[in-house]
Amino acid sequence: MQPDSCVDTKVFRKTFKSLSIAAMLAAFSLGAMPLAAHADQLADVKKAGELVVGTEMQFAPFDFLDAGKQKGLNAELFEELGKELGVKIKFLDLPWPSVLPGLEAKKFDVVAGPIIVTKARKERYHFVSPIAEATVALMVGAKDDSIKKPEDIAGKTVGAGKGSAQLEELKTFAATLPEKVTIREYVDNNQAYADLAAKRIVAVANSLPNISYVAAQKANLYRVVQPPFGKKSYFAYLGRKDADADSLIAALDAAVDKMHADGRLAALQKKWLGAEMDVPKGDFEPTW
Amino acid sequence: MFDWPLLQQNAPLLLGALWVTLQVSITALAIGFVIGIMVGSLRLSPIPLLRRLGGAYIFVFRGIPLLVQLLFIYYFLPRIGLPNVSPTVAAVIGLSLAAGAYIAEIMRGGFLAIPGGQLEAAGLLGLSASQMLIRIRVPQAVRLTLPALVNEMILLIKASSLVSVVGLADLTRTAQNLAASDYMFVQDYLMLAGFYCLINIPLAYCGSLLERRLKEQTA
Repeated sequence: MQPDSCVDTKVFRKTFKSLSIAAMLAAFSLGAMPLAAHADQLADVKKAGELVVGTEMQFAPFDFLDAGKQKGLNAELFEELGKELGVKIKFLDLPWPSVLPGLEAKKFDVVAGPIIVTKARKERYHFVSPIAEATVALMVGAKDDSIKKPEDIAGKTVGAGKGSAQLEELKTFAATLPEKVTIREYVDNNQAYADLAAKRIVAVANSLPNISYVAAQKANLYRVVQPPFGKKSYFAYLGRKDADADSLIAALDAAVDKMHADGRLAALQKKWLGAEMDVPKGDFEPTW
Repeated sequence: MFDWPLLQQNAPLLLGALWVTLQVSITALAIGFVIGIMVGSLRLSPIPLLRRLGGAYIFVFRGIPLLVQLLFIYYFLPRIGLPNVSPTVAAVIGLSLAAGAYIAEIMRGGFLAIPGGQLEAAGLLGLSASQMLIRIRVPQAVRLTLPALVNEMILLIKASSLVSVVGLADLTRTAQNLAASDYMFVQDYLMLAGFYCLINIPLAYCGSLLERRLKEQTA
């Protein structure tokens, strides 16, 4: 009754064939799939009475958990945006590598992050007006006196988030230094912070608002190196880049503009990021 | 190094997440067990096509990493017009399908160890194929393969730590979130490890207890 081994190889071959057919079919149906029939995401969101936001609760001070509850700039800023749109806000917490695929699979309406606006990302996603400055700086160990300015990382090991714009900035900066900088890439920034505390790396490159917050929380462990070394860049929320999404992004843009005008945005920046920030209003051309 | 007040504050949150992990794993194990029995008997079917079907199932769901399966179910299926399932459903589907593939191979081993004479006798007594499966083959196969089945249960519970990729706040995800906000990495992850032991040590114990019981019965 036991199938002999030649059946197994046949099974493999057959399976392989049917798998590749399935893959072809899938690829074909993807290409041929018509765009979703409705054309207005704003109307859909208003009808549902709820804007679903994908984010990662490990990105202090924008999104993090305090005693199991969501806290940070995103929660308060989206609450205001929700008021402007007349809808409730629902946050979904996912590991960062799952957030953008989730947006594209329509698991949620927009992504909170926020994310640094770059030219390449603008090609693929539709950004809302920026909400904070994101220029990259270094964080080092609190007791490490060997790094007083960004250039002092020459010849040392520095960490940054894998696939992040901050990593690209770090690479560009490291190339200008006389000695080679060893760069470690981390799936999430918290692993980099943990490695910095464990002294496996001497510094972490990340956007100033993030590391300022971390260093303020754990002054016994971390310290920020001033000034930032990166080019001026900005954080923004984003949505899908398709025709249906335009109405929603436009409404969010208008809401952010309104919050610029009445000072609510500045107050939130001051509360969570330590200072008011000069960010472009509306669409802008990122430096890279 | 240890912060007791923080530990007391975090423990109930992890306990809540333990519940999520347990719910998803136990549901997946139950479904996976049924799939396993079906696919395991397909693999031994006298009909070649059915044998191949069983083989193909195992080839796919044992061959592709669980992480990839989960991502595929959650993000890719909606794109080809299949229902956009919730994180919990996606996690249960992914875990069940994978568990089914492993359990099928375990059950196949168990089925093969049953003396053929028993089935012949059962056939002569007029038992149908499904009666034979449920009354004669499955009970004996489970007893024969109990250590391997308990092993698979423990592996599945640990594998459930991957479900956070589809947005489910299980034990691992919750501990990561906590560590990301309180920066007590060592403490939070030690607690996480402890919570998995809290499930798996009693499970292993029950397994060996059951094994002894069943041995006594046959002796």
